[in-house]
Amino acid sequence: MVVRQYNEELKYLEKINPHCWRIKKGFQPNMNVEGVFYVNSTLEKLMLDELRNSCRPGMTGGFLPGVKQIANVAALPGIVGRSVGLPDVHSGYGFAIGNMAAFDISNPKSIVSPGGVGFDINCGVRLLRTNLHEKDILPVKEQLAQSLFDHIPVGVGSKGIIPMNARDLEEALEMGMDWSLREGYVWAEDKEHCEEYGRMLNADPSKVSLRAKKRGLPQLGTLGAGNHYAEIQVVDEIYDKFAAGKMGLERVGQVCVMIHSGSRGFGHQVATDALVQMEKAMKRDQIDVNDRQLACARINSTEGQDYLKAMAAAANFAWVNRSSMTFLTRQAFAKQFQMAPDDLDMHVIYDVSHNIAKIEEHVVDGKVKKLLVHRKGSTRAFPPHHPLIPVDYQLTGQPVLIGGSMGTCSYVLTGTHQGMTETFGSTCHGAGRALSRAKSRRNIDYKDVLNKLETMGISIRVASPKLVMEEAPESYKNVTDVVNTCHAAGISKKTIKLRPIAVIKG
Amino acid sequence: MDPEAGEILTQEDFFLPPVKYEYLDHTADVQLHAWGDSLQEAFEQCGMAMFGYMTELNYVEIKEVHTIEATADDMLGLLYHFLDELLFLFSAEPNIICRKLVITEFNTECFRIVCKCYGEEFQIGKHPQGSEVKAITYSAMQIIDEPKDNKFEVFVIIDI
Repeated sequence: MVVRQYNEELKYLEKINPHCWRIKKGFQPNMNVEGVFYVNSTLEKLMLDELRNSCRPGMTGGFLPGVKQIANVAALPGIVGRSVGLPDVHSGYGFAIGNMAAFDISNPKSIVSPGGVGFDINCGVRLLRTNLHEKDILPVKEQLAQSLFDHIPVGVGSKGIIPMNARDLEEALEMGMDWSLREGYVWAEDKEHCEEYGRMLNADPSKVSLRAKKRGLPQLGTLGAGNHYAEIQVVDEIYDKFAAGKMGLERVGQVCVMIHSGSRGFGHQVATDALVQMEKAMKRDQIDVNDRQLACARINSTEGQDYLKAMAAAANFAWVNRSSMTFLTRQAFAKQFQMAPDDLDMHVIYDVSHNIAKIEEHVVDGKVKKLLVHRKGSTRAFPPHHPLIPVDYQLTGQPVLIGGSMGTCSYVLTGTHQGMTETFGSTCHGAGRALSRAKSRRNIDYKDVLNKLETMGISIRVASPKLVMEEAPESYKNVTDVVNTCHAAGISKKTIKLRPIAVIKG
Repeated sequence: MDPEAGEILTQEDFFLPPVKYEYLDHTADVQLHAWGDSLQEAFEQCGMAMFGYMTELNYVEIKEVHTIEATADDMLGLLYHFLDELLFLFSAEPNIICRKLVITEFNTECFRIVCKCYGEEFQIGKHPQGSEVKAITYSAMQIIDEPKDNKFEVFVIIDI
């Protein structure tokens, strides 16, 4: 790592407009392209503070500030365009969280990096709508929250309740949501409203270790812990009536359910296994990177291909996982309201992946190129008329689901043409942490958080009490700042604001 | 007692070691810092620190013992794989949460660890649910091995 004074470091950063900064070459060694990050004035301060802290003498903590990580990614072989930091960017493992980078597949030196996807492969957000109004829910809110909590297994050590054996798992890994559909857990139209239609076709379960399968089997259909949640939300504000209408959200107060979860231990193990393999591949192919944690392999190497196939299996796992919880959510609502989920109009509005690498076509320097796009803590946001988005959203652009932190609002955005050209059709993914977990536990009082949620009219069910402090809104960047930055920068467009009324967490 | 583990617990197995670990700040994750009178003890403590983040260890009884093995190409790798084996013991069948770890073989030349893991199957209701550990990372991993100063410490960031 280059060690310079903070003032020296700042010379490599240039504010090109009120919402966008440029990271010049030389900020980190061997940068192939420039970096860029999107912030407003509040987020800018957080970003630069992180850099300033890392410049203090005697800082040997070892983890790099997000802005340095964005620059290290810009030094990876085969990267095209720019290494992009989204407004919710923060320090991560190798890649920053909230970092996207695209690699030219036709360049034999181009790489794929598990660190650019993250441990929780295909972690994502799904939004279901209902035809209920807030006033229908309020009298039974506590019962409904409890019922959801009872239906969906949450927290450390919880096990899925959807019956599964090793053979079912193999099929689910290969088929993704087609498996859920065949087994009767989802509706055919749910698939339409998922990225990749809920199935990555290049998934190959034989490239996945037995270890990953053993970790994954009991956890299918579980929410997990940490920042994962299921929330009952209501429409708080509609910014774009036309787009909201296309999503079936017509009025303020309409009830939705948001599910935020990923591929659980399965994906974590796939990532862990790949990192070990890639360390070896890097030595063999003499791939030099700025940070050991940026373990990677050439896309066309055996390790690279094996990872992509295993990653696709993990992506399928995550879709089956979210689908199983969709099923459980529909059951909980159906029981509470004594109505069929159909009659409650509980359709999937959309399902996004915010930890994934995908092969996509983009225009680079006026030419169409096939790229491997890594999005880690970043959501795909394709513009209107893009061939890969469903018919229902052709005119609005792809819905982008941005989950807030516990007790704060969530947003639905749509993709824009500007985002397509500036960030390869990518935008933010959520709030992004501001305080460390340990600091949150020290500084935030358990009772205060619960009281505050209560005064805001939010019911909560949490498996782990200490999570209440760790996940308190104060621990996160303000999601509204994040979303407003994306909107102002034009990389996606605000459509709907959702407010939580009940939260279920690990 | 676990018949599969094939070992009978003795009085000594119930003796609990002192706590020699702490949790340090890290933005998104948590850093384990463990120490001891030998590097071996620091490793054991580091493993217990990880289990301590998943639940409150006071609620864990020693009912069975399992043995894990880890090998690697270097010391950092050994620490990584040791913790990864422990995580696997918890995450897949038989889902053991450990109260106490005793390393019976600590080979720093061939980089091999054999460890006895004392605990029981994780049960929701009995064991408070803490944080879920996704993975072990090499991020800022440090092993301090200075026998001269009797200084043995390890630092590991776990992804949660």
